[in-house]
Amino acid sequence: MIHMYLPIAGNSVNIFLILGLGGFVGLLSGVFGVGGGFLMTPLLMMFGIPPTVAAASDSNQIVGASTSGTLAHMRLGNVDIPMGVMLLIGGVAGGTVGVQVIKLLKAMGNADFLIAITYVIMLGGVGGYMFWESLQGLKKEKIAPVVTAKARPKVQEKKKSFLQRLPFQYNFPKSGCKISLLLPLGFGVLVGILAAIMGVGGGFIMVPVMVYLLRMPMHVVVGTSLFQILFTCINVTVMQSYSNHTVDFVLAVLLLLGSTIGAQIGTAVSKRLKADQLKIMLASLVLLVCVKMMAGLLMTPSIMVALKGGH
Amino acid sequence: MRIQKRKKNRFVYGLGICVLLILTWTGVSRAAEEPIQLKLAGSTIKISTFYNGTTLDVTGSVHKDADVVLLVSGPKKDVHLKVKGKVAGILWMNKTDVSLENIPAVYMVYTPAGTGDNLLRPELGIGYKALTGGIAIRPESTDKEFVFAEYVKLMEQSGVYAVHRDAIKYGETSNDQTNFTATLIIPSKMSAGSYRVEAVAIQNGKVLGRTGKELSLELAGLPKTIADLAFGSPLLFGIMAVFIAIATGLIIGVLFKGGGGSH
Repeated sequence: MIHMYLPIAGNSVNIFLILGLGGFVGLLSGVFGVGGGFLMTPLLMMFGIPPTVAAASDSNQIVGASTSGTLAHMRLGNVDIPMGVMLLIGGVAGGTVGVQVIKLLKAMGNADFLIAITYVIMLGGVGGYMFWESLQGLKKEKIAPVVTAKARPKVQEKKKSFLQRLPFQYNFPKSGCKISLLLPLGFGVLVGILAAIMGVGGGFIMVPVMVYLLRMPMHVVVGTSLFQILFTCINVTVMQSYSNHTVDFVLAVLLLLGSTIGAQIGTAVSKRLKADQLKIMLASLVLLVCVKMMAGLLMTPSIMVALKGGH
Repeated sequence: MRIQKRKKNRFVYGLGICVLLILTWTGVSRAAEEPIQLKLAGSTIKISTFYNGTTLDVTGSVHKDADVVLLVSGPKKDVHLKVKGKVAGILWMNKTDVSLENIPAVYMVYTPAGTGDNLLRPELGIGYKALTGGIAIRPESTDKEFVFAEYVKLMEQSGVYAVHRDAIKYGETSNDQTNFTATLIIPSKMSAGSYRVEAVAIQNGKVLGRTGKELSLELAGLPKTIADLAFGSPLLFGIMAVFIAIATGLIIGVLFKGGGGSH
């Protein structure tokens, strides 16, 4: 087996293992529009990469994968750029607030507890709701597709009355909605805060927000999410490299080669799946990570200390 | 006059040879009396692109009645840890911050066949327990032995802390000296830096003598170029990493479009 030495991580890795890992996460990224940080970082740590280097190199890799994914989705007309920009502005502002919140919590001494609880509640809540909702959707489709088609506009009409009261109404043709600019901006801030607290890109929170709160079509959600993630991760990569020297370029390139190809295949796969099928698969994945985290919290650890720097 | 001069010269030469012989003889006997000698197959290990750890052969000799133990240890540093604890009675999580100060990044012990754990004794300065004396813990109220023992478990996973039993082989004995050989395992997690390989001779539960050699691990080729850039010009490195990532993403994207497979 061919190994390569990672100069920043200070360890060597099996080339094919990392390529495969990149491919798998890239596939998820292309299918669901998530960066995959919430999966990749713990997996890399399992292979002996320090947590800080794993997180920073992964964000470098996501830049490549989301470029590839965004491009593929743009060709399919799935990227709502104005919506993505608003979410991005909100996300950056929220991220800045989130970093300050973490500093405050650390000073108070209960940051880790809050991070872990936020993680489990968010994953469990988001995953559980998406799973239940898309299961209902699939059932209804089978039994009475006509009812579903009529029921949805009713829900949207109720929401409209509240949403139309907000200022700065803007037409988002790709997403097929006319809403206030404040809405994506506000949700962006919220996701940004959560993402900073949890130390992840936030794709798996942003996707449900766009689907359920902004009522965007699932395929546009995936493309727009990737567009937004691309810029978030460019920022994180440069900042991490500059202030912490934690970007391992060799690791990132290996992951990249796998993930960019994975992202292309993922996009092709996502095109063949129905929105509810996509949602239920993402929900299962999120729930799986949630169960794994819960198990980690409940089982007595075999080693009672950990190197500082993980999340 | 001439004959006298020749005689004088002969005398000087003769004296010189005698002194030389005496010096050589004492040198040889001193070497024979040395309780322990050590030789490394190389003093520098290069970490290049496809490096995945390596091995290093060690040879030496020890007094025939003594045992030998090899120690590989390296740069002392402070490590910052999180100690896991229960929160709300049921949830295990990283709870308290603890620092171990002045702890070696690498500590490996090699013992000869058939000695079991007999030579791993703190009073001989050998084994994990022997390390605890030189280590400080912050906050001081923390249970040092417990934290250290757990840290050792963590480090053993990557091989930078290890006890290799039955790893030293004895060979022939001559002039009261027994030859020994061992193959040191250099794990890939052992980072670039200066380390010390030490051989300790032990007889009747006491240290008879010790000797050591420096071992250095150096980055070379691509790993060195990348590490130099990442630490020397971090901003440029970050921007470069982003550009290469975007370029790779675009190239793969275009290649897939060219293939016409996706739509």
